[in-house]
Amino acid sequence: MFDDLSLVFNYTLVHATLRASTPILYATLTCILTQQADILNIGVEGIMLCGAFMAVTVSYFSGSWLLALAAAVLVGTAISAVMAVAHLRYKADIFVVGMAINMLALAVTRFLLQKVLGTSGSFYDKAIVPLPRIHLAFTDGNEILRSLFSDYSLFEPLGIVFVFLLWWLLYRTVWGLRLRSVGLNPLAAETAGIPVFRKKFEVMLYSGVVGGMAGAYLSLGYSRLFAENMTNGRGFMGVAAMFFGGGDPIRSWIGCLIFGFTDSVGSRLQSLGLPPQFILMIPYVATIAVLALALARKTANERRARSALK
Amino acid sequence: MTEPIVTMEAIVKNFPNVRAVDGGRFDLWSGEVHALIGENGAGKSTMMKTLYGLYEPEEGRITVRGRTFETLTPTEAIALGIGMVHQEFMLVRELTVLENVILGFEPRKGGGRIDFDEAEARVRRFVDDYGLHIRLHKKVNEISVGEAQRVEIIKALYRGADILILDEPTAVLTPQETSRLFEILRTLKADGKSIVFITHKLREVMALSDRVTVMRQGRHIATLEASATSIPELARLMVGRDVFLGVQPSNRHGSGEPVLTVEDIYVPGDKELSKLRGVSLELRRGEVLGVAGIDGNGQSELVEAIAGLRPVEKGRILLQGREIQNRTPLEVRAAGLAHIPEDRNQRGLNRSMSIEENLIATVFRKRPLSLGPMLVPAALRRFAERLIAAFDIRPPRPEVAVANLSGGNAQKVVVAREIDADADVLLAAQPTRGVDVGSIENIRRELVRACEKGTAILLVSADLEEILSLSDRIAVMYEGKITGFLEAGEADEETLGLFMTGGAVRA
Repeated sequence: MFDDLSLVFNYTLVHATLRASTPILYATLTCILTQQADILNIGVEGIMLCGAFMAVTVSYFSGSWLLALAAAVLVGTAISAVMAVAHLRYKADIFVVGMAINMLALAVTRFLLQKVLGTSGSFYDKAIVPLPRIHLAFTDGNEILRSLFSDYSLFEPLGIVFVFLLWWLLYRTVWGLRLRSVGLNPLAAETAGIPVFRKKFEVMLYSGVVGGMAGAYLSLGYSRLFAENMTNGRGFMGVAAMFFGGGDPIRSWIGCLIFGFTDSVGSRLQSLGLPPQFILMIPYVATIAVLALALARKTANERRARSALK
Repeated sequence: MTEPIVTMEAIVKNFPNVRAVDGGRFDLWSGEVHALIGENGAGKSTMMKTLYGLYEPEEGRITVRGRTFETLTPTEAIALGIGMVHQEFMLVRELTVLENVILGFEPRKGGGRIDFDEAEARVRRFVDDYGLHIRLHKKVNEISVGEAQRVEIIKALYRGADILILDEPTAVLTPQETSRLFEILRTLKADGKSIVFITHKLREVMALSDRVTVMRQGRHIATLEASATSIPELARLMVGRDVFLGVQPSNRHGSGEPVLTVEDIYVPGDKELSKLRGVSLELRRGEVLGVAGIDGNGQSELVEAIAGLRPVEKGRILLQGREIQNRTPLEVRAAGLAHIPEDRNQRGLNRSMSIEENLIATVFRKRPLSLGPMLVPAALRRFAERLIAAFDIRPPRPEVAVANLSGGNAQKVVVAREIDADADVLLAAQPTRGVDVGSIENIRRELVRACEKGTAILLVSADLEEILSLSDRIAVMYEGKITGFLEAGEADEETLGLFMTGGAVRA
C-alpha cells in the first residue's frame, strides 16, 4: 500500500499540479479582472472554449503559435465586448449573458469543428504547432531537477508572473485603486470623479484578452488538440477559485493550486484501480468544498459586523 | 467683502410625486457657519445636493464666487472649492483611510504607481493643522463612525474645499464625538473656511452657528442671526405651530395587565446606531404605546425583532407570558401578534397578486378558508368582500392586483388584514406613511377602534403628530436605546424633541 502511495505522492506531483492548475489560473485571472469592478464574469467558460478552438484552427492552418495566440485573444476580446455592451449598455443580467455565451460557445465550436476542420468529437493533427516549451539544459543530468524546473509550457511560468503582475496593478497603482473603488462603492467613485461605466467596460475587454489566452493555453499548451467541451468546467472552477481568494490574485492562485493538486492526485489514483466514477468527482467535490469554506468565512465576518453585542 | 460666496435663488427640485424644494433660497458668507434647519423632508439635503451637483434643479440660479450656474456637476463643484460630507458616507469600506482620501486625486510616481509617501505627507498636513485625528492605514470598516466622518472632512479638504457642507453630521455621533466635531469646525472657521451645517437639533444650532436658515415643506421660511433668536422661536418656525392638532385626551385606560414584555434585548443592525442595546418595554392590554424617534435609531430593528424577522442576541420577548424571541414570524403570529410592516411594498403586500390573495395571506391555512391542502374559493371571496366593505378599500373588487391600487388603498389592505386578525398585540410601523389624507384618517380610526376592542398597539411612527394624537404612552428611541417614557398628557413636541436628540437634560 505504501509503495502504491509513493507512486501517487512524489516529486513529479509538483510539475503535474502546476500544469493542471494553469488553465484554471487563467480562468481565475479573467474573473478577477471583472470581479474587481463588481461584474461576475460567468462567461469565462465560453470565452475559453472559443479561444481554444480558434487557437487550434489558426495554428493548424498557419503553423504559427503566435498567430494562434493572437487570434484566440481577438476572439476572447470580441466576446467580452458583446457581453459588456449587453450588460453595461443594455443592463442585461450578467449571469444570463454569461450563460448564454457558454451555451453558444459549446454549439458554435461543435459546428465549426465539423465545418472548418471536418471532424467531430476531437481534432488532432501533427500540423498543430503548440506553444513553446522551456527546456533548461542544465537540469538534464538530474531527473528531479528536470521534473521540478524544466519543460514547462511557456504559459505555465507566465501565469505565475501574471498573478503577481495583476496583484501589483490592483494594489499599487492608480489604475488599480480606481478599479477597486468602482467595484466596492460606485457612488464613492463617482463622487471622486471616476467614470464608472468606462472603467467597467475597460476591464471587461481586458478580461476577454486573458480569457482568450486561457483558451489558447488549454488547446496548445496543456494539450495539443481541440475537443468538444474541452474546458469541461474549468472556467467555473476559475470562478470558484476567484471567490475562494475573494478577488485577490495571490489567494485565488492558491485556490487554483488546490484544484490542480486534487486533479493530479485523482488521475494518479485512477491508475491504482480506484473506481473512476469517484475520481472524476474529485474536482467538483473540491470546488464545492472550497466555495463552502470561503462562504462560511464571509458570513461569519458579516454576522460579527452586525452584532449588537460588542 | 460685500458679496456672499454662495447664493442660491428660487431653487425648484421635483422628485416623482413630490416637490422636494419649492423656491428654495440660501446664501453663505465667507468664513461663517450657517445652519440649515428643518424637519425630515423639509428639503435641506436636497438644497445642498443641488449645490454639490448631485441633483439637477428644475429652476433657479446658483452663484458661487460671482459665477452663476443653472446646474452643477460634482466635478465642477469640487473645482469651485465645494466639499460635502454626506449623511451616508461616500467611503469604500474595504479600502484604507489613506486610499479613500486620495481616491481620484492620487499623487503619482513613474509607471502609474501611487506615491503613497507623498500622499501620506499631504494628508498628514490636514490632520495636524485641524486636529483631525485619523489613522491612515486602517481600513474604513475598522474605524468608528466619528473617525469615518473626520475622514470625509479631510477628503473634502484634500480636494481643495473651502466651502464645506455637512449633512446632519451629528446624527450619527455620540455626544463626545459631537463636541470634538464642533472644535474641529471652529478651527476650520477660524482658518477662513465657510461651513454649511444641516441639522434639526436646535441646541447645536445655537452652540455653533452664526446664522440660521429655516426650511419647511421645501420652502424657505426665514434666515436669522443666531444671536438674535432662540430655541423656542426656531422650533416654532421649523415645525409650524398650526401643523399640530394637539393631544387628543385619551378615554382609554390600559388595564394594567402586560401582554407584551421586552426584556433587555440586544439586536443586530445594519448600522451602528440602529443596533438595539438593552431595550426594555411593557405593552399593556388596551393601550397604544407610541415609539417616537428620528428614523434609523433602532425603531425598525425593534419591530422586526418582535415580529420574528430579526434575531435577538440577548434578552427575552414575552407575548402573553410566552417567549417569542428568535421564533419564526409564523410562530409569533400564532402566539397572538399582528404586524403592519413599515414598508408595505416589500413586506406588507405582494404587489402582483390580487386584493383577495393579499387579504387572506395570513389566514388561508384556517377553516373554512381551506380544507386540508385545498383552498375554498367561495369562502375566500366572502372573506375578502367582507374586509373590502368594512375598510372601504377601493376599487371594491377582490380580483384587482394590488399594484393597481393607490398608496392609501394598498395600505388599507394591509391594515384590514392585520386588524381583522384580532390579535393580542398589533405592531403598527409607520401605518400612514405615504398615504393620502383621507386614508390617514380612516386608518387611524381603525387603529383606535381595534385598541378599544382590547388589542394592545405598539405604534412606531416618524410622524410626531401621529404619535401625539394616538398614544396613551410614548417611548422615545435614540441610538438603539429608549431614552425616556412619557405619559400622553405630559408630552409635547419640545420634550419629545429633547429625548429624540439624545436629550442630555431630563426635565
